[in-house]
Amino acid sequence: MSYEDWYRQDRLPHIFCAGCGNGTIINCTLAAIEQMGWKKDDTVFVSGIGCSSRASGYIVTDSLHTTHGRAIAFATGVKMANKDLNVVVFTGDGDLAAIGGNHFIHACRRNIDLTVVCMNNQIYGMTGGQGSPTTPRGCLSTTTPTGCVETPFDLCELAIAAGANYVSRWTSYHVKELEKAVKAGLETPGFSFIEALVQCPTAFGRRNKFRQVADHVEYLRSHSLLRAKRDRLIEAGEPVPEDMFVVGELARRKRPALGVKP
Amino acid sequence: MILAIDETRCKGCNLCTKVCPYKIFKEGKKPNRRGIVVPELDRPERCTNCRLQQLYGRTLCGVCQLTCPDQAIHWIEEKPYELKKVAIEY
Ligand SMILES: Cc1ncc(C[n+]2csc(CCOP(=O)(O)OP(=O)(O)O)c2C)c(N)n1
Ligand code: SF4
Ligand code: SF4
Ligand code: SF4
Ligand SMILES: [Mg+2]
Repeated sequence: MSYEDWYRQDRLPHIFCAGCGNGTIINCTLAAIEQMGWKKDDTVFVSGIGCSSRASGYIVTDSLHTTHGRAIAFATGVKMANKDLNVVVFTGDGDLAAIGGNHFIHACRRNIDLTVVCMNNQIYGMTGGQGSPTTPRGCLSTTTPTGCVETPFDLCELAIAAGANYVSRWTSYHVKELEKAVKAGLETPGFSFIEALVQCPTAFGRRNKFRQVADHVEYLRSHSLLRAKRDRLIEAGEPVPEDMFVVGELARRKRPALGVKP
Repeated sequence: MILAIDETRCKGCNLCTKVCPYKIFKEGKKPNRRGIVVPELDRPERCTNCRLQQLYGRTLCGVCQLTCPDQAIHWIEEKPYELKKVAIEY
């Protein structure tokens, strides 16, 4: 048995562009699920709309590719109707934080027993590269042709503030760490949120000076600041570099949860 | 077992050439029938999985396989099985 058995082999190769990070995140998520020893019949994948949201269609279990932004709303229904099911959500930054933003914060508040994996490519990939709520300041997109002037959401901080029991952030470079984080999320009762920063060479990289796919992955690696290191900087009263993002486990707690298997 | 790239899936992104600690994946030179430049393998038997996967009953390392966005990296049965001399690299 290996995680490859969770893929619908007849549906591969998938439609993602060459070098798109989404495939890596699906690999890591399925590798974590394989370790849980879950039955395929007891597992459900739900996603919204976007390139990232195509993920659920490549997996052998029951799944639903919902309307844009509604993955968490549908997953909430599945979980409340049958608590014995293991429900995993794949979503994108636009799907989760723009059109689906309200569902996201309220699922965190309810602390419903789902695991949500967000492939954050900081752009609307599928529709050709419009800016999303996570597009960094200064980055180019079709809707920010002179550079984004808005402050992006920190999705993990949002999930923590809204009440999620488990929160982690990694990138498509950190495959082993991401696999472990997803597994920890699957094991934690209540709402688990895992943000995976990914490269989108077609809609983001091309416009933002990442000519090679590997250049973007290298950027994600070199701009990751381990949580422990960030905490040490703060303790020492030193400045935290502004161009870096924190990776690692950001929350693990035992707030009252909804929909947990009895 | 032997490491192999599934040419029907690989899209030639070359991410595998960046992640292997033994640098087994090398950028390819010629496009294949589908116009994709698939990486070449440099002495794949050096991968720990080729020798030890069956003994341990699980995938070791496996970073290239997890990283490959196109599910193109596998270890396949070798027929006939060939003993190879492998220098251990540190
Ligand atoms: C109700 C509705 N509004 C807008 C759209 C158009 N639309 C399709 S995908 C998408 C954005 C997807 O962005 P994201 O969730 O980040 O996914 P990505 O493609 O980047 O993986 C939008 C706005 C839609 N399909 N449905
Ligand atoms: S547009 Fe971007 S996110 Fe969509 S498949 Fe292509 S690389 Fe991936
Ligand atoms: S990572 Fe996968 S898709 Fe990319 S070049 Fe290597 S084998 Fe091909
Ligand atoms: S499993 Fe590890 S050692 Fe083997 S080819 Fe892949 S990256 Fe290299
Ligand atoms: Mg996106």
